[in-house]
Amino acid sequence: MAEIKIHPLTRVEGHGEVIIEVENGEVADVKFAVLAVRGFEKFVQGRPAEDVPYIVSRICGICQTAHHLAACKAVDSCFDAEPPEGGHKIRWLMHIGNMIHSHALHFYFLAAPDYVVGPDADPLQRNVVKIVEDNPEVGKIAIELRRYGQDIVEATGGKAIHPVTGIPGGVSSPVDPESRDDLLSRAEEMIEMAYEGAKVGIEAIKETLEEYREKHDIDLLETLGNIETYHMGLVSDGDKHEFYDGEVRVVDPNGEEVTRFEPEEYQDVIAERTIEYSYVKHPYLKDVGYPDGIYRVGPGARLNVCSGMKTERAQELYEEYVGEFGECVNYSLTINWARLVELVAACEEAKMLLEDDVITDEDECKEDYEPKAGEGVGIVEAPRGTLIHHYVTDDEGRVKEANLIVATTHNVPAIELALKKTAKKLEDEIVELA
Amino acid sequence: MSKATIATAQLSSCVGCHVSLLDLHERLLDLLEDAIEIDYCYVLVDQKEIPEHVDVAVIEGSIRNEEDLEVAEELREAANIVVAVGTCACYGGVHGLANLYHIDDVLEWVFKETPTTDDEGETPEEVVPEIFDYVRPLPEVIDVDYMLPGCPPKPESIAEVITAIIEDRQPKLPTTNLCEECPREKEDIPIEDIKFRTGQGRPDPDKCLLEQGYPCMGPATVAGCEAACPSRGLPCRGCNGPTKQALDQGAASLDAIASVSFETGVDVEEILKGLVDLPGKLYMFSMAASLLKGHRDVIFGSKGE
Ligand code: SF4
Ligand code: SF4
Ligand code: SF4
Repeated sequence: MAEIKIHPLTRVEGHGEVIIEVENGEVADVKFAVLAVRGFEKFVQGRPAEDVPYIVSRICGICQTAHHLAACKAVDSCFDAEPPEGGHKIRWLMHIGNMIHSHALHFYFLAAPDYVVGPDADPLQRNVVKIVEDNPEVGKIAIELRRYGQDIVEATGGKAIHPVTGIPGGVSSPVDPESRDDLLSRAEEMIEMAYEGAKVGIEAIKETLEEYREKHDIDLLETLGNIETYHMGLVSDGDKHEFYDGEVRVVDPNGEEVTRFEPEEYQDVIAERTIEYSYVKHPYLKDVGYPDGIYRVGPGARLNVCSGMKTERAQELYEEYVGEFGECVNYSLTINWARLVELVAACEEAKMLLEDDVITDEDECKEDYEPKAGEGVGIVEAPRGTLIHHYVTDDEGRVKEANLIVATTHNVPAIELALKKTAKKLEDEIVELA
Repeated sequence: MSKATIATAQLSSCVGCHVSLLDLHERLLDLLEDAIEIDYCYVLVDQKEIPEHVDVAVIEGSIRNEEDLEVAEELREAANIVVAVGTCACYGGVHGLANLYHIDDVLEWVFKETPTTDDEGETPEEVVPEIFDYVRPLPEVIDVDYMLPGCPPKPESIAEVITAIIEDRQPKLPTTNLCEECPREKEDIPIEDIKFRTGQGRPDPDKCLLEQGYPCMGPATVAGCEAACPSRGLPCRGCNGPTKQALDQGAASLDAIASVSFETGVDVEEILKGLVDLPGKLYMFSMAASLLKGHRDVIFGSKGE
């Protein structure tokens, strides 16, 4: 048996390896191994629960805010401390700021080199620096959007990377009125930029697909990662698209609802299977079983589970997306398109939240808490998908048990399935390589 | 002048230090234009092999597994100068808290006991790199030329270190403790009690939090974050790591708390009770580098590898 190993995986965060096994002139198996584990679920045990949102943000330096806030929500429930309106909205805005930074990073810095510079280019040239050199306007959009997102997180969270203000029952301090005014004065321009960027990005994605069809006679959409899975994501208010707070909805590959649940019911729906070659477990829908019950989360899944967007310009782009691919999309290459739709939505939502004076109100940002024994589950949509934090506390308010299912974990089985399917489609080329 | 070649790597960590580098925004582009060339950085560039030679290696993260160690050693070979960037690299970082547990118990919980794990499957052993018994900071396994703590360090501090190396001078970095950059006023009054948990109550906005009875690690923590937490009404949890003089962050914290209370005859044990979680509070970000390293032998009876 021959093996092809792809390691390290580049332009992604984290440590992964892809192993393609070739036997008797066929692709026998493809394994997607996650190579690192740090054990947060164990070492938060014994820590005071109010420290946990601060510790777990360090799970990921890109979507730290999502971890910080999912943990805050869980700890709120452990201590029965519900944030007042201001605290709720400051956290929500913090979350949106992180979404803007992360989506801009993911699309323009990590993914766009494949479209804009092109997959046939010299790998050393296939990076964001080349994009900025060749397309300064796109470079400017990328940088400005990221800066805006990070500035929002800093204004609401106290620090752009690893925010600090989230505490049980709210946030420790309101948004300074001056920062609020500054951010609000930039909001309209950011919506414009995100929208322009989306148009350019969508065009680049279309062109790449077109080029492959013409030059190589390959339908990339069908070839790379077209898999049928379930999809999961938050929705609110009549199943509208939701980033921060709501109910979790699950649909099948055709877009038919199979279940919906509140955060504290997650264990009824999701189970995880350990995998001998990876430090990440494979989650699946309990009722369907493993591996048939694997599902996807993230921008594509969120557009699949919702009935439409909350804001105007994002809705316009959503309709274009649905018009192109239908109400439930199982391709993988469309995820970046979905991400661009969401980036516009996030900028619009930021403006809406910044317009609300309650975020600057000292008396509205927290409710006092008392540490105690309890249990809580917090769910938010991290930039890469549904994020679940679950804690149990003891009488002193220290964490006794912890369980986390992070966004990328939900997607790992689907990524592996997509790689398997893709490898089968490209079998002849791969066998030759091996 | 030719550009300095740079390799960056992420060992066990969160990638936040890399994101902080990106938060230089266009200044990073200027640096790339004028002064540096990134030859290896798997997070952003499709280069899979560590080059044979680079001028500077910027390493994020600590040593948790075999692969971390290999990459660290390979980069030490390749680079003239190694910079440990971030508290993970310098002092082990937050996941150094795992050193409080036997590694088997950590894996047991994660892969067998969490409530959503089903009954089938097994603890991963194939393909994945072997996990060491405990987390170690970078300087414990390779020679490090510069230490830049912070979780993450500010973008400007990262730029300052890189620029200083290129200009062949010592970087200007904070050396004092956090209290020096904290806007809150210290009256040097004795601390009688840690009466509040982080985020509880309504602290006086101008006065030192430690003196108001909050568990603030400022006295034992190096400056560099503009006192982000005390400025937001929260005690410092020590994420910048210890000051150089302090060596051991937890011991220095205890010392600071005890020394102002000693004369008044306050029972230090009473104060410690208020911390609720002694090891976690004193060493949240530097457990792996603490003088308590003896705990490793107590837990493992060996050196861990
Ligand atoms: S020092 Fe902090 S920001 Fe940097 S990698 Fe470690 S946890 Fe992340
Ligand atoms: S102990 Fe904390 S609050 Fe007091 S001065 Fe030092 S950093 Fe500021
Ligand atoms: S105040 Fe302390 S805990 Fe907060 S960011 Fe600064 S060093 Fe870290």
